Amino acid sequence: MSQIDPILLSVYARTFKSITDEMSISVQKTTRSPILCEAKDFVTGLYDATGNMLEQTENLPILAFSLAPVCKYIVEFFGDEIYPGDVIFHNDVFSMGNQNNDVAVYKPVFFEGELVAWAAAKGHQADIGGAVPGGYNPNAKEVWQEALRIPPVKVYEKGKLRKDVWDLIFANIRLEIVQHDLRAQIGACTVGERRMEELLKKYGRPSFESHKEALFDATRKMMEAEISHIPKGIYSGEGYVYFDGHHEGTKFTIRVTITVDDNKITFDYSDTDAQTDGFVNGTFTSSASATILTFLQMVNPDIPHNEGMVGPIEIIIPEGKILNASYPKATTFGNHLCPPNADAIIRALAPVIPDRVTAGWNNLLASLTTGIDPQIGEKYVDIGFMGLKGGSGAMQGTDGYDHIGMIDASGGVLDQDYEMFEQQTPHLLIKHEYITDSAGAGQWRGGLGVETIFEIGSDDTQLVTFGDGDFEPAFGLFGGHDGTLNQIKLTYPDGREVIPRNKDLILGVPRGTIYYQAAGGGGGYGDPRKRDRKKLAREIRDGVISQEAADALYAYREAG
Amino acid sequence: MSLKIGIDVGGTFTDFLVARDDKAPQIHKVLSTPEDPSIAVMQGLTEIAAAQEPAATVNDLLGSVDTIVHGTTVTTNATLTRSGAKSGLITTKGVRDALEMRRGIREEQYNNHYTNVEPLVPRYLRVGVGGRLRRDGSEIEPLNLEDIDGAIELFKNENVEAISICFMNAFANTSQEQEAAERVRRALPDAYLTVSTDLLSAIRFYERISTTALNSYVGPILNHYLEQLTGRLEADGFSGLLLIMQSNGGVMAPEVARRNAALTLLSGPAGGPGAGLMYANAHDQRKCIVMDMGGTSFETALIVDSPVMVNEGLIDRHRIALPMLGIHTIGAGGGSIGWLDEGGLLRMGPQSAGADPGPACYGQSGSLPTCTDADLVLGYLNPDFFAGGKIRLDVDAARQAIEEHIATPLGMDLETAAAGMYRVACTNMAQGVREVTIKRGFDPREFPMVVAGGAGPIHSCLICEELGIPLQIVPRESSILCAVGMLMGDLKHDFVRTFVSRLNAVDWKSLHDLISDMTAEGSALLDSEHIPESRRDFRIKFDCRYLKQYHEVSFEIPRDSVDAHDTAAIATAFHREHNRLYGYSLEEQDVPVEIINVRVQAIGITEKPALAIRERVAADASPALKGERSAYIPSEQAFRTIPIYDGHRLTHGQHFEGPAIVEEVTTAIFVGNSFNCFLDKFGSFVLYKKGRDDLVARALNGDSS
Repeated sequence: MSQIDPILLSVYARTFKSITDEMSISVQKTTRSPILCEAKDFVTGLYDATGNMLEQTENLPILAFSLAPVCKYIVEFFGDEIYPGDVIFHNDVFSMGNQNNDVAVYKPVFFEGELVAWAAAKGHQADIGGAVPGGYNPNAKEVWQEALRIPPVKVYEKGKLRKDVWDLIFANIRLEIVQHDLRAQIGACTVGERRMEELLKKYGRPSFESHKEALFDATRKMMEAEISHIPKGIYSGEGYVYFDGHHEGTKFTIRVTITVDDNKITFDYSDTDAQTDGFVNGTFTSSASATILTFLQMVNPDIPHNEGMVGPIEIIIPEGKILNASYPKATTFGNHLCPPNADAIIRALAPVIPDRVTAGWNNLLASLTTGIDPQIGEKYVDIGFMGLKGGSGAMQGTDGYDHIGMIDASGGVLDQDYEMFEQQTPHLLIKHEYITDSAGAGQWRGGLGVETIFEIGSDDTQLVTFGDGDFEPAFGLFGGHDGTLNQIKLTYPDGREVIPRNKDLILGVPRGTIYYQAAGGGGGYGDPRKRDRKKLAREIRDGVISQEAADALYAYREAG
Repeated sequence: MSLKIGIDVGGTFTDFLVARDDKAPQIHKVLSTPEDPSIAVMQGLTEIAAAQEPAATVNDLLGSVDTIVHGTTVTTNATLTRSGAKSGLITTKGVRDALEMRRGIREEQYNNHYTNVEPLVPRYLRVGVGGRLRRDGSEIEPLNLEDIDGAIELFKNENVEAISICFMNAFANTSQEQEAAERVRRALPDAYLTVSTDLLSAIRFYERISTTALNSYVGPILNHYLEQLTGRLEADGFSGLLLIMQSNGGVMAPEVARRNAALTLLSGPAGGPGAGLMYANAHDQRKCIVMDMGGTSFETALIVDSPVMVNEGLIDRHRIALPMLGIHTIGAGGGSIGWLDEGGLLRMGPQSAGADPGPACYGQSGSLPTCTDADLVLGYLNPDFFAGGKIRLDVDAARQAIEEHIATPLGMDLETAAAGMYRVACTNMAQGVREVTIKRGFDPREFPMVVAGGAGPIHSCLICEELGIPLQIVPRESSILCAVGMLMGDLKHDFVRTFVSRLNAVDWKSLHDLISDMTAEGSALLDSEHIPESRRDFRIKFDCRYLKQYHEVSFEIPRDSVDAHDTAAIATAFHREHNRLYGYSLEEQDVPVEIINVRVQAIGITEKPALAIRERVAADASPALKGERSAYIPSEQAFRTIPIYDGHRLTHGQHFEGPAIVEEVTTAIFVGNSFNCFLDKFGSFVLYKKGRDDLVARALNGDSS
């Protein structure tokens, strides 16, 4: 082992981060699907030879913490048969993948003939085969009705394209752009590979290995220090999932038991409800990502993201639970179990670290429309990102963030630009604005929700909804009030109103239908009557809180 | 006699460069006066006049000046300190919150205390009005004039000073915006008005509305400032040409700046890249990296034939989509504070001790260890000759700050800790250089580094070693490089139109008309700036992408290719640029290429002062030796006694080997032990890697052409 130079350690840490950032820019600038290049529903990362996380750029954190486990799986799977110039694809949720649509690309990095690291890029593809375009099939019961499974497979070996394998994969995917988007992800891994090679050339393998370990150690110490700030004990909380896509009125409970030791924290989901027979099921890595990203919001945001960070965090989810479905259950909805999982964790820890938690965040309710753009005769797929982003929960000292969206992205996923939306779909945007009084009242109020209205411009449009938050609003904390509910409503040209269920597939939506969506506000924190009067006056003036609500909830005029 | 003055108004200092044909350029610095920056400008000019031989009055001086080029941070500061104009916004009904939402981004995902930036226009002054265009520009619903009148009424009552108009899909049809603008202008003739498509006729609603609102926000302030400045200058006898530095590295007449105030948001540092190129030219280089390290920030930019531009920038988290120089700024400077994070890792900045309380060694109230303190402990700075001896540095205070906050907690000795601070600061800056090189697909090793800013030349050797850069140029005027650049700028006016078309199906007549329109607009501006035909140039750029990609690649197209309808040449240029930027192209897959925007830049070529060429003397530098002292040599991780040269006595032709230190009044240069130093014909210090004489062979051999 070479000696640790504390300064060189900082250099390594910075360099890893700049490489994953650079890979992220490469994906964003070259992909075609708005899900990737506009909404940034992807993650890039670097791993060591055995798959330990070196650093990640987590645009959408819910994808992020499956990359290292899959990398370890790949290393084991291919064993001695990993060569320079290999490119490996993976999406399989029964070998550590988090969601079928999230396809990961891995590229090994070699130095002096030895495997030293991996560069990876994982992104949500616009289509992944299966029964329904776009991948969200609320009727699915088994994985084959959802997607093409891709266990680890080499699409390039020793730098040579395996055309037969490539064609087999893309023969099973509807949209051609998916090929180009995965080429862009490969490009990003090449960028990462080149930079890692430069780094190793400069400092050599022994220095890299010993400093990597030292970096993991330093990071683990930071995380342990954070955990030691939480009072020791056992805490539990619940979050709720409404409707499994099949049986009306169903409700499921996520129960977490959190044990805080000296320098370790354990999240145990053994008491969580069993898996459903629909697609409302999580995978282990998706659920573990949800746990980690929620907890990361309660600690110092500057901790580097590497293996050392996750070391002191233990997660127990027995197979067969709604958060860890057994083969071959359908699981596409799994990423969206993050909000209720976060609710459970926040409810458990709020009493002991009231200054570090937020009130409840607006849950996700999303829609995906597909159809043919009549003017250009081409197919479009649109995930309505601008419509799904409600408010975050407030915390002590800080209001919730308006129109930020689900906690699993925490503001990393962006609205489509309105004019680009109208270029890429045949729809006409009528309204996208904050909703008055949507924020949960509180001394610190929740983030505002938004209202989205557009006119559907394609014939025979197919609409998929997925999400929650239309039964239970984001909860308030310590006297703060709840936020508002989500809703999606279609008004057909003949005046008929259709309210899709929160996990639904609506076929044959006619042109001229008015699409309406409300994304609710976040929960408030603390007694609203204590809210700063100057802020309130400004909010009344700006119309985000009505005079009536100010008087009734905040005692604005009564208090003078 | 032709006299030109470049004036760079910065946060702390206002820098002047006086250039004339018959003498060496003259450098002057005065303290800035932020409450009315024109006071410092006039004070500096008065001092410059008094320093002439024989001494002159400011009237005499200004009477003989034919050009003043002025860079200002007035608009930047107004934005950063939230002191812009009270603004109103008129936009399409239903989307008035787009400006505040910023597409729903939270830049710090894991930080729940991170709040949104305050919008440039408060919600109650953002008015949605009826009237709607389709994506192709056709009208669905006419403009609702009653709604416009309602907005006007509100703005009147609220004493709004500046108004923005931005409608959905106006990039495809500007008529509704123009109709609304006419009505507003009639009712509120004194308000500052920005019409989105006048400023930026390109697709992407959020970028356009944000840029428009920024323009209005800073417009009245810039107007007011320019009125004060021109008033003072004219009162004191100035009748020459006043030009304002723009964010794109060009200059413009004050009347143009007044309309398009947002063009000055990066005016301050925009002179640097152009100046850097001039010094690099002296060594047959058409490209370079420029780094500028001041007290709190480090700016870096890339020049390839001309400074690299970007079409998307941010200021205080607000999007600005006007072409600007790709200058990258990080919080690293002489005042950057060293600290240990919770994991015990040494970090430098971005917090800065600034000028107040200042580094510990300033002996004011600062007690935290800064980069300058480390530089002093390492022997790079002379405690008795900082700012020429005007500020005495307290070595003990520096040592104590580093000992207490860094060395003791890390369990290392003081010198090692100081060396660590130096190295981490340099790594951060090297990272900044990577942002403008590697991240844009350029290899930094192929570029000479032009080093500027008072603190720059102390750190540049390690930065260059980290990046493998073998050649550095430290200009004589390195401490005021931006002021130099201001005198080197051409008049530049950028135009853009969205023109969505597949490259293989272009309607060439429409495209030509579009380019002609933009060219005519540019010509009209250059007319107003009195630029003759012979000094005009027009450049065409396309923003293209592969079909269905979302982001475009911007690249220059020769006029001939457009005239000859040479689609193949245009496609080839696109594939090449895409490959360079992102590691692949889809040329073989035969994916169609799509044009999104067409850009024209109208250039009016200004007369530039020539830098005086120094007489060459013998190579022996020993006449300029002023002593020796112990300084830290990073590659040896040890101190060594090295020679100190008086920079003011060094001139063209002299040569010495590193390690060595050069002291000047405004800066110090640390020549590392892997570099040698040679003075070129302008008197610039040229640091080249030992054994790489080939890089400077012509200059070394005495060819001073």
